[in-house]
Amino acid sequence: MATSAAMRPSMGALGRISWCYSTPSLTQTASLSTTAALLKRHKYPEARDNKDHNKKRGESAIRRTGTRWRLSMSDEPLPRPVPRSRLPAIETDPDHGLWDFFANRTSVAHAPEEEAKHGRSWSVEELRGKSWDDLHRLWWVCVKERNRISTSNWERKKSELGFGEAEAFVRDREVRATMRAIKHTLTERFYTWEDAVKTAENDPEINLSGDGPPFTPSDYLEDAEVAAEGDQQIAEAAEETAEKAEPATIPSSKPQAEAPRL
Amino acid sequence: MATSVVAATEAAAKRLPHRFGNKQIFLPNHIVTFIRPKPRQPPNLATFVVPLQFNKLDLRDYLYHAYDVEVTSVRSFINQAAPAQKHRHFGKSYRPRSQKMMIAELVKPFVWPTVPDEKDREAFDHEMFARLTAEREDQMDKQVDPSVIPLRTQTPVTTARKDLKAQAAEFLKRGEWTNGKAEDGKWTEVDKDFDV
Repeated sequence: MATSAAMRPSMGALGRISWCYSTPSLTQTASLSTTAALLKRHKYPEARDNKDHNKKRGESAIRRTGTRWRLSMSDEPLPRPVPRSRLPAIETDPDHGLWDFFANRTSVAHAPEEEAKHGRSWSVEELRGKSWDDLHRLWWVCVKERNRISTSNWERKKSELGFGEAEAFVRDREVRATMRAIKHTLTERFYTWEDAVKTAENDPEINLSGDGPPFTPSDYLEDAEVAAEGDQQIAEAAEETAEKAEPATIPSSKPQAEAPRL
Repeated sequence: MATSVVAATEAAAKRLPHRFGNKQIFLPNHIVTFIRPKPRQPPNLATFVVPLQFNKLDLRDYLYHAYDVEVTSVRSFINQAAPAQKHRHFGKSYRPRSQKMMIAELVKPFVWPTVPDEKDREAFDHEMFARLTAEREDQMDKQVDPSVIPLRTQTPVTTARKDLKAQAAEFLKRGEWTNGKAEDGKWTEVDKDFDV
């Protein structure tokens, strides 16, 4: 068996040779050369098929054969992209919020002379009379100012604009002093409130339970109506004084952001 | 009436671009730096340097509430600092604090102004600044490697050297110069006494 298997290729070759040299009338059976059946490698049952599964057989870029199938493409000319230089310039909204990061709309950073034009920081004495809203607004003015200074510093350094770092530092220090004063004021206010609560707990005239009038003067007796009226008057007076004391010096953050008084 | 109120509330909620965080921070201490975009960066991208503890949602809320800037998405990355030494060129090595950057995609594009020309930076005294910077860099280079000595031909001729040269030439021309010492007879002028 082994000998016959080893002999098979040479026998096939012999067959072909015999076909070449013998007369066609006697041996040729097909018009084309067919592979000798004997040369096929897998003859046994359940052998894998011997087909060529290459779908791109015969395609060659060198010989410009093209694809074997028609492609789903059109030969219409493709549009060419417009070069960036010919596109219309993108305009920035003059009210864009990001302008608030800039000290100057042309050079981003202030020139040193401009940078040095600022006032002093707010002192704690000045801030003691301000309401929480005022302090909060002032804090945000400071935060935005610091962002602006930081942006200027970055730009001055990266674009090599020139001098101005020292002036910016001084300005930043003033802003930080204001922020510190705000925190100082609020801390003071909190301690005062804590002390007031502690005092009120031991004061027989003050009712902290939340039921009934919070303040009952013990020196003299009043009718309920009179007391209510009195309370109202006191409240009104307090509102008036608060309005008087309320400074209109800190407007909303928008105009402040334009020309902040530090 | 009630339905109109509900509808108004819903409309207001729709007008808000996003859901915002619930945690209120009253006195934030962060510094956000807006930095110039890279040369070919499109104008709807804005780059910021933010504190390391910021996340994308923080920046979105911050820009909306503090600057009234709407943002569709935020990308973030951290630039790790290169190891440094305590005293620049010597001392203990350490890793400086990293830097966090975020790129926000803006609803409204923002184009940065171009960098002013060197002529237009007079207000910043750019000329003097450039000279000082160059001088400082030279000094730093000398400190880093003192063995690099520039060639005589490559060093600029100072006015002092020029003046000295001119004075020496003047003296030689007049021929009056002596070193103030009498001859002791030990020196003979070779080409006076012998024919070589």
